[in-house]
Amino acid sequence: MNELMSFWSQWLRPSAGLPTVQWSLLLAAATVLGYLVQRYSGLPKVLGYTLVGAAAGLLGFSGALWPLQGIGLFLVELAVALVLFEAGGRIPLRWFRHNPMVLVQSVAESALTWAAVFWTLTWLGMDERAAAPLALIALAASPTVLTRVVADTRAAGPVTDRAIVLATLSSLYALTLGSAQAGLTGQPVSDWQSALYPVLVVLGISIATGALLSLLVRLALRVMSPGSENTAILLLTLIAASTALAAHLGGSAPLAALLGGMLLKQLHPRPWAWPRQASSATSLLTMLMFVLVSTVAAQADWSATVAGVVLALIAVRLVAKAVGVGLGNIGSGASWRQAVWLSGAMSPMSAIALLVASQLVAADAERGALVASIALPAILLMEVLGAVIATLAIYRAGESSKPWAAAAAGRAAGSSERDSQREP
Amino acid sequence: MSLEAFQHSEPLTLGVELELQLVNTHDYDLAPYAEDMLRLMLKTPLPGSVVPEMTNSMIEVSTGICHSSSEVLGQLTQIRDALVKSADKLNIAVVGGGTHPFQQWHERRIYDKPRFQELSQLYGYLSKQFTIFGQHVHIGCPDADAALLMLHRMSRFIPHFIALSASSPYVQGQDTAFDSARLNSVFAFPLSGRAPCVLTWDDFGRYFDKMTRTGVVKSMKDFYWDIRPKPEFGTIEIRVFDTPLTIERAAALAGFVQSLAAWFLNEQPFTPAEDDYLVYTYNRFQACRFGMDAVYVDPATGDHMPLREHIVQTIDHIARHAGAHGASGALHMLRGEAAAGQNDARWLRSRMRDEQLLAEVSRQAALRFRGVPP
Repeated sequence: MNELMSFWSQWLRPSAGLPTVQWSLLLAAATVLGYLVQRYSGLPKVLGYTLVGAAAGLLGFSGALWPLQGIGLFLVELAVALVLFEAGGRIPLRWFRHNPMVLVQSVAESALTWAAVFWTLTWLGMDERAAAPLALIALAASPTVLTRVVADTRAAGPVTDRAIVLATLSSLYALTLGSAQAGLTGQPVSDWQSALYPVLVVLGISIATGALLSLLVRLALRVMSPGSENTAILLLTLIAASTALAAHLGGSAPLAALLGGMLLKQLHPRPWAWPRQASSATSLLTMLMFVLVSTVAAQADWSATVAGVVLALIAVRLVAKAVGVGLGNIGSGASWRQAVWLSGAMSPMSAIALLVASQLVAADAERGALVASIALPAILLMEVLGAVIATLAIYRAGESSKPWAAAAAGRAAGSSERDSQREP
Repeated sequence: MSLEAFQHSEPLTLGVELELQLVNTHDYDLAPYAEDMLRLMLKTPLPGSVVPEMTNSMIEVSTGICHSSSEVLGQLTQIRDALVKSADKLNIAVVGGGTHPFQQWHERRIYDKPRFQELSQLYGYLSKQFTIFGQHVHIGCPDADAALLMLHRMSRFIPHFIALSASSPYVQGQDTAFDSARLNSVFAFPLSGRAPCVLTWDDFGRYFDKMTRTGVVKSMKDFYWDIRPKPEFGTIEIRVFDTPLTIERAAALAGFVQSLAAWFLNEQPFTPAEDDYLVYTYNRFQACRFGMDAVYVDPATGDHMPLREHIVQTIDHIARHAGAHGASGALHMLRGEAAAGQNDARWLRSRMRDEQLLAEVSRQAALRFRGVPP
């Protein structure tokens, strides 16, 4: 792969630079494979994107640096911020007043996941200083994968909605604690106040940036229609600006976007009706994010020991999430059957876990290698496997069509984009 | 299968059914939460019942047997409050209205119940297009022959019912220019429209036997008529109302039906005839299309007059019967709205003019259903 790249660079000198051409071709390949995966298997396009990124990473494509930095880091943060802003807008705070068990369910599944993964990794002999960050990375379910699965399978219903909410809340915890833990690294912690300080800094800056973002959008919505293309573009550009700003000031860009979405829903309870043009731009960015995440994640070194620990982490994480969801299900308005499929829908790990991992690795290079050696394969595996499990869980919950049957029906009808339409 | 016997019911008792929309609180599109709502509603003891409907973003609530519109309102208030509480728990909203203004019919899923699956097989896409929301009013009749007489007398007032309840101007994101576009969806069904003009139960039984012999009909449920007899309840069922945006209007419409029925039973004011139906479809179309601005053709005299005037005249005429059944307040409200040319369709259009976003119109309609002014 490297020889091919150096050969290219000797005779090809495009105006926007060779990396632009490489990335464009990689994204083109991901687009085609994503389309084919959905057309011929009915599974979500995100699988195709991940497979292309993973193949590029395994072949030694060096277009993305680890830990994430520069434009690669910004693009992942921006894509995650866009998804989290939208996901944050799905969480009206008044819901927790009417149904506090949803919040209990969220805290239970996240806390149990952290504790179970931490305990398992230390039991397997891992240093606590590496087990703790890995437990933190493991608690983040992936609203980025989930929202793509939902879009591709046109799913809708209580399990789908609640999975997005719980995944978003778990991301909130992981981003806050991950940023705080990265901030604590290398600093002497003498008392609880000095331990709390980094958490408050991350939260404070993220809340301030999120509040500014939501206020600006709220102001714009006083004079602009939410259905206008210009409003959607304004939203995208404001999120991009807040992403750059929050990270620079010491906050968390995705966290700021998430909190911005939640605050906007509070300030502006009107329907969210961004036009489809915005979703095309978001789709491109999220596709780039999946390719980038899997390219980076595939660069990890595999061994039998690593594989064993990764599989243990994944298995314990799945069980802990299921138990946590089950514990909080009592009185939450969902049936036990729904709780089972809900926990399945929360299995994916992706960009948010990678961002947290990257932050922790960048903050402490010494233990970073060990954390990355487990986190990256786990993220790669759960981006693929998690997407499949989530697709099946949502289908089994009765909230989407049978994916492979829909694909077959689509082929028979000669349809292209309509092949995932729901049937009763 | 032969026609079942017409059961006894207390004359002029009322029962009201409301089909309701379940929407999410994110973009206010229909949300498939019927099963969850039914499960939560089971925990609250209520009068009447809550049952599933054709697609899984709809539910139907019904009152028990009531004697007045105020009793209907009392029961609907209890049911509404329980619905709102359950919806809050699930982070969804409940909305009235005859159609959801921008839902796409092909995205709907048929509720998993044998009868609905059977209907879906038979009617294809029509069953998903049947994601429309109506109010049905049952009125108790003294006996079977009186029920048929009541049914055909009531038919003259179908345009009144349509115009007063119309709340479905938007379909698939477009203004249809109709006040009640919902009834156009009902018309697609082969056994919709008017009932045959037979005035005795024996004759109706013979008609029913002939229809069952053709194999087209198996039970009374297969008739989608605007008004149909309901022998198992001892009532006739009026089915042309759009679900109003508020339970207050739903109860008032039931009071209007009861007052008309009391007039019919007490005064036997006219004898229905097949010729009444010469103008039936035209009047029905006028009411659906123009609502309160429709023209009404009197089937007896052939006179043309504004429908809203005829509504006001009718209400004035039956006022004494309304008083006897505690429906004066309800009729006063409907008379005022008719005189002002107001109905829910007009309210929805005015909201749309101000907001320029149908999802926001749905959100405000959800607040109205809760009893909270938007």
